[in-house]
Amino acid sequence: MSGAGAKRILVTAIGGAKGAEAVGALAALGAIESDGAAVLIEVTAAKPRSATVVAAREAKALEASLAVVDRELRAKARGGMCSVSIGDGDECVERLEAVVASLPDGVPCAIVAPPVRYRRILESEEIRVSRVLIRADASEEEGDRALLELVRREAEDLVPDVDVVAEPPGWLASRRALGGSVGSGESGQATPLVLGALFVLVLGTVALLAIAGAITGKARAQTVADLSALSSARSMKEDLPRLLAPPTLPGGMPNPAHMGKFEYLARARRTAVRIAVANGASPLRVSVRFPDSLSFAPVRTRVSIRSRVEGAGSGKTITDWAEARVGVPVTMGAVPAIASGGGYSGPLVERQGHGMRPDVAAAFDRMVSAASAAGVALAINSGFRSDAEQAALFAANPNPTMVARPGQSLHRCGTELDIGPPAAYGWLAANATRFGFIQRYSWEAWHYGYTAGPEPCSAAGDSVGPGGDPKSSLGGSLPAFVPRRFRRAILASAMKWNVSATLLAAQLYAESNFDPNAGSPAGAQGIAQFMPSTAAAYGLTDPYDPDRAIDAQGHLMSDLLKRFGSPALALAAYNAGPGAVSPCDCVPDYPETQAYVAKILGLLGGVGAIAPMPMEVELVR
Amino acid sequence: MDRVLSVRAESGQASVEAVAGIAVLVLGGLVCFQLLATGYSVTVADGAATAGAVALVRGDSVKAAVKEALPGWANSRVSVRRVGEKVEVSIRPPSPFTWLSERIELTSGASARSK
Repeated sequence: MSGAGAKRILVTAIGGAKGAEAVGALAALGAIESDGAAVLIEVTAAKPRSATVVAAREAKALEASLAVVDRELRAKARGGMCSVSIGDGDECVERLEAVVASLPDGVPCAIVAPPVRYRRILESEEIRVSRVLIRADASEEEGDRALLELVRREAEDLVPDVDVVAEPPGWLASRRALGGSVGSGESGQATPLVLGALFVLVLGTVALLAIAGAITGKARAQTVADLSALSSARSMKEDLPRLLAPPTLPGGMPNPAHMGKFEYLARARRTAVRIAVANGASPLRVSVRFPDSLSFAPVRTRVSIRSRVEGAGSGKTITDWAEARVGVPVTMGAVPAIASGGGYSGPLVERQGHGMRPDVAAAFDRMVSAASAAGVALAINSGFRSDAEQAALFAANPNPTMVARPGQSLHRCGTELDIGPPAAYGWLAANATRFGFIQRYSWEAWHYGYTAGPEPCSAAGDSVGPGGDPKSSLGGSLPAFVPRRFRRAILASAMKWNVSATLLAAQLYAESNFDPNAGSPAGAQGIAQFMPSTAAAYGLTDPYDPDRAIDAQGHLMSDLLKRFGSPALALAAYNAGPGAVSPCDCVPDYPETQAYVAKILGLLGGVGAIAPMPMEVELVR
Repeated sequence: MDRVLSVRAESGQASVEAVAGIAVLVLGGLVCFQLLATGYSVTVADGAATAGAVALVRGDSVKAAVKEALPGWANSRVSVRRVGEKVEVSIRPPSPFTWLSERIELTSGASARSK
C-alpha cells in the first residue's frame, strides 16, 4: 500500500537531546499536502499517548486501519495525527515495516527512533526513509559532536535530505504538535486580531478615563471656587444684620450686637479659605476679594483658586474663580415690608397675618395678653388696607353705609383693626380703652381704632418707631447712623411726601454715605445720586444741594412707591430705572441693583425699622 | 533548526483561537466597562455632592438636591450623609458582576458653610 512519494521522516536524538517526538510530529504535520492526516510512530517502550477528545476524521480512519494490521498496536488519533507506539524490542523494526507498509498512499509518516535502531530503519527497503532529522543540542560535548557527525554522514550516504535540529520546539509548539493540532510556524492566526482588539479596548478605556479625569479635575477647581464663594456670601448674609446694627445704643454705650466692617469682611474671608481647604485646595492658592468693599455694607465676594496643570514639557497655572452675593429673592417685590398705597407709609408690622402700625401692634399685644388672661381669644379679621384693596371691597359691596369708599376708610392708616369673634365683643367694649383702642362706630362692634398714638394718616404716624413708642416718632425714629446735619431735611421730606424717613435715610447711606459732593462713574450726582435727567424731571437744579436733593429724593420715592407698591421694587426702580422693573415687576437681575436693594432692606432690618428681610446667597459668575 | 519545519495550515485552528480570543475579549470588555462605570459613578457622585453642598449653604434640603442631581439609575444606589459642613454621597456603581456591585462603594464629598 505504501506508494512512491510518501514522506517518510526518520527522527533520532543524539546525546540525550530532548524534543525529538515534537520535531517528528511537526515534520509529519507539515508534510500533509491536502486534507488528510499524518502518522507519528514512536519506537519506544514508554506508555502510549492517549487519544484526544477532538480528532480529524482521517486520523480516526488511520487509527482504525492500523488496529486491523496489528491488534497489539497502540494507535491513537490525536487531532490531525495518528500516534503509534510500537515498543523498542528486537522485533520493533519488523513491526515498523509492517505498519509503514500498511499506510495509505500520500500519508506522511514520522518515525522517532533511538540511535540504536536508527541504522536498521534507515537501511530498510520496506520503509524507504526520504528525510532524516537529527535532534542534537548545539552545546553538546565533543564526543557527542563526533557521534552526530558520524550519524549525519551515514544518513547522507543513504538519504539526501538530512537536517540537524539544534534546538527543540518551544513548550507550546511541542504540546500542540504532539496534540496533532498546530505547528510552530503558523501559530496564533487569530491571536494578533484578538490581542489588537483587546489593546484598542484597553487604550480606549484608558483614554476615556484620562479625558474624564482631566475634565473632572478642571471642574473640581471651579467647584471649590463656587462653594467657597457661596460660603463666604453665606457668612456675609448672617453677619449683615450685625454690620447694619447701630454701633451705639441710645445711651451712647457701644452696641454689643454691632459688628465692624473689618471684622465682617475678615469673617467672610476666613470662611472662604476654610471651605476651600475643606474641599481640597491649598490655602496658599486661594485668594479672596470683595468687589464692593468700599460700600458701607459689602455683599459680594470673589474667590479665586489657582491650580497648576502639568503639560508636555512644561506646566501651566490656571485660575478658576467664582463670585457670589447676598441678594433679595425675586419674590421679594411682592412683600410690602413698608406700608404703601394707602394713607400710611411707615413700617408695617404684622399680627395674625394683618399689617398695622408698630405702636398699634404693641398695644394690641398688650390687649391680647389681658384678654387671654380673662379667657377671651381675640382674632384680627382685618388691619391695614391699601386703597386698591379697599376699592376691591367696595366693588364687591358698593354700599357706602356698609363699606367705605376707597380713600375714605381709616383702615388705610394702619391704626384700625377689625377684631372678633363676636363672643369677644363684650370684653372689648369693656376693656379696649385701657389699651388705647376705641370702638370707632357704634354700629360696628368689631371695628376698633388706636387713639393713643399719632393721628391716623399723619406724618407723625409714618415715623413711629419700631418699638411703637409714639414719643420716638419724628426725629427720634431716625437711625443713629444719620448725621445730625441732614436729619431735619430728611424728616421734612418724609413728612412732605409721605415716605418713611428711615427709608430715605437708609437710601442716602447706601447712595453716597451722606456725602453731598459724591459722584459716580455713571454720572450720578450729589447726596441722593441723581442722574441729571431725573434731577431735571423733578425740578432739581443743583443735585449737590443736599436739602433740595433730599426733598427731590422723597418726591421720587413717593412716586415710585405709588407706582410699584413695594419698597423693594421702588428702591430697584430708583437704582435701575422704572423701565427695568416694570416688565417683570421684580428686582431686576442686575448685580448692582440686587446689592443696592439688599443693603437698604438689610439696613432697615438692622435698625429695626422693618422685620428682618429674607436674603439668599447666589452665584453671580 | 537548519531548515524551517512548516506545518499545514490547520483547519479550525484560527476558529479555536478566535473562540478563546473572543472570551478574553469579552472579559476584557467587561473589565473596561467596569472601569468606565466606576469612573462615571465618581463623576456623578462629585456632582451630587456639590449640589448637596450648594443646598447646604443656601439652607435648602440636601437630600432633595442630591437626588435631583443624580441620574435615574443612581437613585436606588445612593446614600447621603451630612457630617458637619460636609455632604458625603456614596454610590454603588453599576456592574455586570452582581457580587462586585455589592462590594464597591464610591464616596465623594463637598463642604460648604452651613450656619
